[in-house]
Amino acid sequence: MSRKIIALLLAVFMCLGVFAGCNNQTNQNSDKTNDGAQNTDSSFKVGAIYITSQNDTAGYTFAHHYGITTAMKNIGLSEDNLFIVDNIPEDKTQVSNAIDTLAGKGCNIIFGISFGYIDAFAEAAEKEEYKDIIFSHATGYKSNETNFNNYFGRIYQARYLTGIAAGLKALELQNPSIGYVAAYGTEYAETCSGINAFALGVQAVYPEAVVHVNKISTWGDETKERQAAEALIDTYNCCVIAQHCDSAQPQKVAEERKIFSCGYNSDMTKESPNAQLTSAIWNWPVYYQTAIEAAMNDPENFMENVGIYYGGLKENFVGISPVTDNCAEGTKEIIEKVSDMIISGEWDVFTGTKLSISETGEITKVTAATLDNTDSTVIAEDGTMYCYVGEDEDRALSASDASGIAFEHDAVIKGSMNYYVKGVVEG
Amino acid sequence: MAEYAIELRNITKTFGSVIANKNITLKVKPGEILALLGENGSGKTTLMNVLSGIYKPDGGQIFVNGKEVSITSPEESKKLGIGMVHQHFKLIDVFSAADNICLGDNSGKFFLSKNRYKKIDDFAKKLGFEIDSRKIVMNMAVSEKQTLEIIKVLYYGAKIIILDEPTAVLTVQETSRLFDILRKMKNEGHSIVIITHKLNEVMEISDRVTVLRKGEYIDTVTTSETNNQKLTELMVGRKINLNIERPVTEKQPPLLEIRNLTVKDDEGNTAINDLSFYIRSGEILGVAGIAGCGQKELCEAIAGLRPIVCGKLIHKGESIAGLSPKKIIEKGIAMSFIPEDRLGMGLSPSLSITDNMLLKNYTQASSKFNPFINRKKGRSDAETVIKDLSIDTPSTETPVRKLSGGNVQKVLVGREIKAGPNVIVTAYPVRGLDINSSYAIYNILNKQKKDGVGILYVGEDLDVMLELCDKIMVLCRGKMMGVVNSCNTTKEMLGLMMTGTENLTAKDGKTPGIAADSNIKEA
Amino acid sequence: MKTKQPFVRIVRRTDFPLWAMIIINIAAVLVAVGIGAILLAAIKVDPFVYYKDMFTIGTIDNRFAYKNFEGLIEFFVPLLITSLALALTFKMKFWNIGGEGQFIMGAISSATVALLLGNSLPSWLTLIMMAVCGAVSAGIYGLVVAFFKVKWGTNETLMTLMLNYIALYALKYFGETQAGWNFFLSGESVRPVFATFPESAWMYTIKIGKFSLNITLVIAILLCALIYIYMKKTKHGYEISVVGDSQSTAKYAGMKVGRIVMRTMFLSAALIGLAGTFYVSTAHSLSTSVTNNVGWTGIIVAWLSRLNPVMILVTSLLISVLRVGCQTAATNFPVIDSNFADLLQGIILFTVLMADFLTRFKIVFRKNTEKEVEDK
Repeated sequence: MSRKIIALLLAVFMCLGVFAGCNNQTNQNSDKTNDGAQNTDSSFKVGAIYITSQNDTAGYTFAHHYGITTAMKNIGLSEDNLFIVDNIPEDKTQVSNAIDTLAGKGCNIIFGISFGYIDAFAEAAEKEEYKDIIFSHATGYKSNETNFNNYFGRIYQARYLTGIAAGLKALELQNPSIGYVAAYGTEYAETCSGINAFALGVQAVYPEAVVHVNKISTWGDETKERQAAEALIDTYNCCVIAQHCDSAQPQKVAEERKIFSCGYNSDMTKESPNAQLTSAIWNWPVYYQTAIEAAMNDPENFMENVGIYYGGLKENFVGISPVTDNCAEGTKEIIEKVSDMIISGEWDVFTGTKLSISETGEITKVTAATLDNTDSTVIAEDGTMYCYVGEDEDRALSASDASGIAFEHDAVIKGSMNYYVKGVVEG
Repeated sequence: MAEYAIELRNITKTFGSVIANKNITLKVKPGEILALLGENGSGKTTLMNVLSGIYKPDGGQIFVNGKEVSITSPEESKKLGIGMVHQHFKLIDVFSAADNICLGDNSGKFFLSKNRYKKIDDFAKKLGFEIDSRKIVMNMAVSEKQTLEIIKVLYYGAKIIILDEPTAVLTVQETSRLFDILRKMKNEGHSIVIITHKLNEVMEISDRVTVLRKGEYIDTVTTSETNNQKLTELMVGRKINLNIERPVTEKQPPLLEIRNLTVKDDEGNTAINDLSFYIRSGEILGVAGIAGCGQKELCEAIAGLRPIVCGKLIHKGESIAGLSPKKIIEKGIAMSFIPEDRLGMGLSPSLSITDNMLLKNYTQASSKFNPFINRKKGRSDAETVIKDLSIDTPSTETPVRKLSGGNVQKVLVGREIKAGPNVIVTAYPVRGLDINSSYAIYNILNKQKKDGVGILYVGEDLDVMLELCDKIMVLCRGKMMGVVNSCNTTKEMLGLMMTGTENLTAKDGKTPGIAADSNIKEA
Repeated sequence: MKTKQPFVRIVRRTDFPLWAMIIINIAAVLVAVGIGAILLAAIKVDPFVYYKDMFTIGTIDNRFAYKNFEGLIEFFVPLLITSLALALTFKMKFWNIGGEGQFIMGAISSATVALLLGNSLPSWLTLIMMAVCGAVSAGIYGLVVAFFKVKWGTNETLMTLMLNYIALYALKYFGETQAGWNFFLSGESVRPVFATFPESAWMYTIKIGKFSLNITLVIAILLCALIYIYMKKTKHGYEISVVGDSQSTAKYAGMKVGRIVMRTMFLSAALIGLAGTFYVSTAHSLSTSVTNNVGWTGIIVAWLSRLNPVMILVTSLLISVLRVGCQTAATNFPVIDSNFADLLQGIILFTVLMADFLTRFKIVFRKNTEKEVEDK
């Protein structure tokens, strides 16, 4: 009796299996015909490893997911060609297994968006069986010569521009106090370079202004972000609030308190229509489109064509949202002029040359050393950059040539900056 | 008025595959005491729980005063005038007597009335009970708690009162007082059902007896027309010899001597207070006392499971005080304590009979350095014990928990005897056993006694102890009240000693519990 | 008159045949798969494609299929060892829910050995040192709990739970604090990231064609056999059973219960620490999510397997396939994120637990009993 039942069940199971197989084959066939009709290259597959869920509706993973899907749409690749492993913590085994999964699916390029994936990506790129797969890792610093790059953006350039908008507004209000809600401070070059660029932008138009930083020690927490912004306003009577954190809470606080604000990540005007000056924004599709196209067309020379990618204003990888009517008069014109200087390569933020912008909008280059908030020189007049204060002097790097043209070593992005410039106060 | 106050017809109740009651019929007349007699597991309590609404029967009819009723909850049974006094009291320890009674008051009033104490005092007095309605239950003696339970059911107007094993926790004197109360209530027209398995009490108090056996209705007889022997036959289903043997053995020197022993219980109160006694080879020393007067602590102290505060434990002239339980086992002192749940101490319920056989000797069964357990020995031991004591089990690998109560106890006692001890400490070895199994155990103990083993028998049933034991030591709140020879004492005498009314230790000139030929040299 | 009876009653089963148990468990999985198929169809995903990938852990049409098996082993080995270790204490009715913490302790200690001594010792010695340090330190971490329990009667459930968080936050502290003393972090990165172990601290693998067999798999299966023997055949195993069944009986039999509890807890925690060592030496680095939740999953595995080592082997393999398979299958579909994969796993676990309930209890309906009575 029992044997019969088991046999019957086994039979049912096997039928299901065969059915599954058949069904799948027909499915694949239909997929192929569809792909052939719609897409430029149906066989090209994109893989991505995310730190949180792919169905997030805001935040870091969302920004990258939006970037990848938009880029694929622009290129004409179907959604079916995207393979995602999400919710992968920064654990080498789990990341390696995710890479194996994506490689097994036949992905031609694999993106990893979190810093801690770095070693797993570096190891995978060296593997013999994966040498025809391109690995691309965001925010990292490792690479090889054939199939492994890293990428990030010069968001500090956009931040400098928002700093100008904030400084002009403060000048108009004659209130030298500006607030900044930051995820972290000097622990990460990503955050402190943003704060410094913003402060330098403010000081270019309003040298007496002070940027008060309130650190929340997490990349995103709506409650903490709100509390930090409120504390800045209550303690320092700030007239503008800028931010480097995931949600739009600081913008909303500014709106409620009837002061002004600069957003981050995406255009936050709809969150604070009466407070918003301008936001520093990322255009992730720009990189993803560049990378995927390069990988599709000429995978052998990916490192020559794309390489280590730190796009900025010039590539439109970063930018600012349209300057709103809340800004002081003339803001838009000044920002456009400075933006042009950066795009043309005439000038960049962390060099031995600073900008001084008069109320009438006249821009003068001033050669002056940049001091940190303990008054030691961090960028000398000749462009020598002591980017790692407190450690050995050997790590000083040349930041720019004497004329103030941008540097090539990208210390800001690779993560060696660990100080605040003068005029930034934490706490 | 209907002929019967209560009539149960063809009541059936099953628990899963177990049939607890099968087509049981029971009739109680107004103003009558009916004894419900049966061995453990015969379905008495289940039947009464059906009547009081705790269980719902699977089939059958219930009539109260001639009218058919459906009792679906204890609440309804209360409304019908049925009151139950459970074996384990349903009282709240931290409440006063009056509050425990008011607890069941469903009159809908939100606040407790202030004059509730007076009301209940008056009510009790009217019925002839003595009770302090302000006394907290925690501070009450067992008999007081029982009286309170009875008052409680009467207070809610019960005309039919069911008492489940009411005398199990009472002394002889308290029992006779309870019976007086029951007779008085009967004269007032109440119907009383008393559940018991003690034949003497049935004969003493009841008008009629209904006998159950293994969940089935056997017969109802009029008490005055029957006797112990006939009732036993009805209860057990066959003829049985009710006499317990007491073989005579030669007097031997003391085997185990206890001198000035003081032991504390788990809460740190003194449980055994300055106790001295001895056991000779070939002798059964009974220990009598009301529940919780230090029996458990005494057994544990002897077995090395409980630290002693002071005193001497001398076994064959050597002190065993402070030795580990293992060392004491190795000296040949076996202890079996059957707690109320029967499986708590001495057996590992989920393990097989084989594994339980190994419990005390698994370290000795093979070399000390052999990490593996020797199940062969356990299995052969199990086979021997199963054969010798005719234990009913499918195999030696059956978990002990799946055996019936009697067989479980046989496994335990069998193992202890298999180890060949010279002292057996056994507490409640027949607790919950049917008559047949009980007699099997008595026979085993007597055989050991003849072989020269000294036995300490902690028991509940004074009738049995008087027949089985050579001497009986009576404890009251951890203090010795005297050691009496069971040939020349009475149940009433023991009862008085158990409550502390009679203290023989003060009467004689010599201190009892010290043998004339003691091994202990006084310092 | 018919007295009222509850419509459904739950009755404990005495015996349940093995074949029925197998069938009911298979049925449970089928039910879960069915529910999952409905959910998948509802979000317009072809259930057959999903399940094909899931049950084969994505090895069909995959030129790197061997990699999927390697990944499966990396998840399976720690889960198997942890579940076995937990079963040891559960058998004793000692509720060690500190698998996470003990795993982390093992990982941290073996990482310390790897990073400090790895460069100066031969590979075999480094690995043995890592295993010993990982096991002993985790063992002590568990022993503390047992000691407190035995000595002062503290609650082991609460204590092991709390120690989980202490270990986790210690690990996070090491992972985020850049300082000269912190050898756990990579020196070359300016952002805090855990250092990669020197090559001598990498776990051995045996190449079988392209597939590299991690020798921890062999060790884990060996451990499974050893623990089976330990639990069923040795005096220690016997003592564990007795203590778990009835502490008072164990004391009565002259067993030193405190010592048995401490010994078993040490062994259990040490095994979990060993699992931690195996994990990091296979990954070649620490991470703040080393445990992969095996300390929790192991509890489910141990209970589903009724603390039987052979069943644990099967159950942990099935759970690993489920985990890895769900992730692989989810990759195919943009609408399915890992949360959905977790949901599906949850449904399967739930139905299997329900089936487990049915093997222990039976549900009796009113009609049935009445019929029985009438028949008689």
